[in-house]
Amino acid sequence: MSKEIIRLENIYKTYKNGTINVEALKDINLTIKEGEFVAIMGVSGSGKSTLMNILGCLDRPTGGNYYIEGVDVSEKTDDQLSQVRNKNVGFIFQSFNLIPRTTALKNVELPMVYAKIPKEERRCRAIELLNGVGLGDRYHHMPNELSGGQKQRVAIARALTNKPPIILADEPTGNLDSKSSIEIMEIFRKLNKEDKNTVIIVTHEHDIAKYTDRIITFFDGEITSDKETENMKQEAL
Amino acid sequence: MLFLENIKLALTSIRSNKMRSFLTMLGIIIGISSVIAITSIGDSAKATVSKEFESFGKNNVMIYPNWRENPDMTISPNAAFSQEDIDALSVRFEKELAYIDPSNNIQSETTVGRVKGKWAVQGVAGDYDKFKNMNIIHGRMISNSDLKGKRDYVVIEKTGAKFFFNTENPVGRTLNLNVNGNMREFVIIGVYAEEKSLFSGLMSTSAYAAYSPYTSIQGDLEINASMLNIYIGDGYDIKQTSDAMVNYLEKIKGIEKGFYTSDSVESQQGTVDQILGTLSLAIGAIAGISLIVGGIGIMNIMLVSVTERTREIGIRKALGARTNDILVQFLIESMIISAIGGVIGTALGAGIAVIGMSIAGAELVISPLVVLFAVLFSAMVGMFFGIYPARKAAKLDPIEALRYE
Ligand SMILES: Nc1ncnc2c1ncn2[C@@H]1O[C@H](COP(=O)(O)OP(=O)(O)O)[C@@H](O)[C@H]1O
Ligand SMILES: [Mg+2]
Repeated sequence: MSKEIIRLENIYKTYKNGTINVEALKDINLTIKEGEFVAIMGVSGSGKSTLMNILGCLDRPTGGNYYIEGVDVSEKTDDQLSQVRNKNVGFIFQSFNLIPRTTALKNVELPMVYAKIPKEERRCRAIELLNGVGLGDRYHHMPNELSGGQKQRVAIARALTNKPPIILADEPTGNLDSKSSIEIMEIFRKLNKEDKNTVIIVTHEHDIAKYTDRIITFFDGEITSDKETENMKQEAL
Repeated sequence: MLFLENIKLALTSIRSNKMRSFLTMLGIIIGISSVIAITSIGDSAKATVSKEFESFGKNNVMIYPNWRENPDMTISPNAAFSQEDIDALSVRFEKELAYIDPSNNIQSETTVGRVKGKWAVQGVAGDYDKFKNMNIIHGRMISNSDLKGKRDYVVIEKTGAKFFFNTENPVGRTLNLNVNGNMREFVIIGVYAEEKSLFSGLMSTSAYAAYSPYTSIQGDLEINASMLNIYIGDGYDIKQTSDAMVNYLEKIKGIEKGFYTSDSVESQQGTVDQILGTLSLAIGAIAGISLIVGGIGIMNIMLVSVTERTREIGIRKALGARTNDILVQFLIESMIISAIGGVIGTALGAGIAVIGMSIAGAELVISPLVVLFAVLFSAMVGMFFGIYPARKAAKLDPIEALRYE
């Protein structure tokens, strides 16, 4: 079988708001293998984003251990975590988070700037990636000149620049119409099936979750179910 | 991170907020331009003044009773300088004393044909033009034999020549001068041109300038001078020699020590230089304060910019920017704003100095060292006042920055 890429052991996350403590994650144990396509579902406030931020090394857990490819991330310094975000994970946000007043091309180049990749190479790779998500004619558009679906495609291209093995997307279709949502999900499916990336997507739409192979459901900071989807069963046949 | 990338980023950010960037720079522009203008004007003034003093000759010394320290001292007739004193000094300081005159002068109303005017005639010894910078354009200067022979010769200034004789060259013609109540006829033996100087405007009188042997304009009276005008020979220490002369005069005239004093162009120039130096330092310090104010302006705007761009910083961090990458990005931005301000300020300050000096009619001195220092210093101001905002940006937590609205 393929080896594990993500392992969470007894992960806790507690937010302190004055005197009130919010336990956003309670004793999460979870293993995800290389090449999996996972959906995380659950009602609003159940802790999905909190989990994704920890998986993406944007945030640190209050307790527990997090291993990426067997390496304990909890031990790393802030700058080492920056490195992990730069090289190992590609993060896609619901609100796109493109840098304003900066062209699509420059946005896609940015992670490579921090990876100290020379300019020529950066340019070539960014063009290649934008072509890959079907934006071959939008290199020099600013974010405010793009539609929601186009913005999200730029964001996906940007997440892929340093060829990260893990792709995390927190409600990537949350701000999109159904047509754009389908296009975006097709891109994710291709990334998983053809490029063998590990893809984890947060969604609360079953239509979206149906694209994936495994659905993990959250409720009140805990995992309440973890099942393979029809896709997997069909493949097994 | 890549340095060039950061410079481009900073320039883009400065360009996308042109008005704000300009206002931010304004403090630096004002500070640097005043520093440059003031130091340039100060240096130019110093150079001009020292040129002015050099026209008198640095080795020029005056000896006179010390009025300044004893304003109400009584002068015995013995205290005034006589020809005997001059002769005694010339013998005793044969080598050191290059030139001496008793600094006497007369004023005379004169008529030539129907032209009426006033002359101010300065008594000199021979070869005065070898010590004081003079431009003889016709004829010659008073010589030592003119002095010994008490000849009624006169060397006049060009404008006086034109006024009375309607020619620049009236050499050989005569001028009636009133010497102690007697009208005497002086022969014009030379014409000189006064060089335009900073002081000539200040010293302008209605009289035309001229030089005669000091013996001639003394008439029948004995020399009875309150001041000696002396040039010290080359290679002798001016202060030491003039002190020795003062001591000697006090000794031979039987006068108490400290009665006479000497004043040299060298020491006067030192005093003026010191005053100018202190002045530019003081004004420079005020300009320096405006630089600090400019720096605080930069800090203020950078703080606003960091807050405005919190989300952008969050995105950059999410994509792999390290603490230092963000720190350097904002530091370079504030340094560039400040350095651009420094360059504009330098140009402006130099412009002000050029205009100021051309009005004063003096030569401009702009030290490249000062320019280099100004630009570097402004960049440093930018860096110093950029540190706090940049650190604030760099230390932002990625997830909190991304959540910022
Ligand atoms: N920064 C925060 N400060 C305090 N509480 C937070 C913060 N972020 C999330 N929470 C709380 O943690 C819980 C989980 O939130 P989140 O992970 O965003 O849920 P989901 O993404 O599933 O909607 C919620 O109760 C939310 O109010
Ligand atoms: Mg969420």
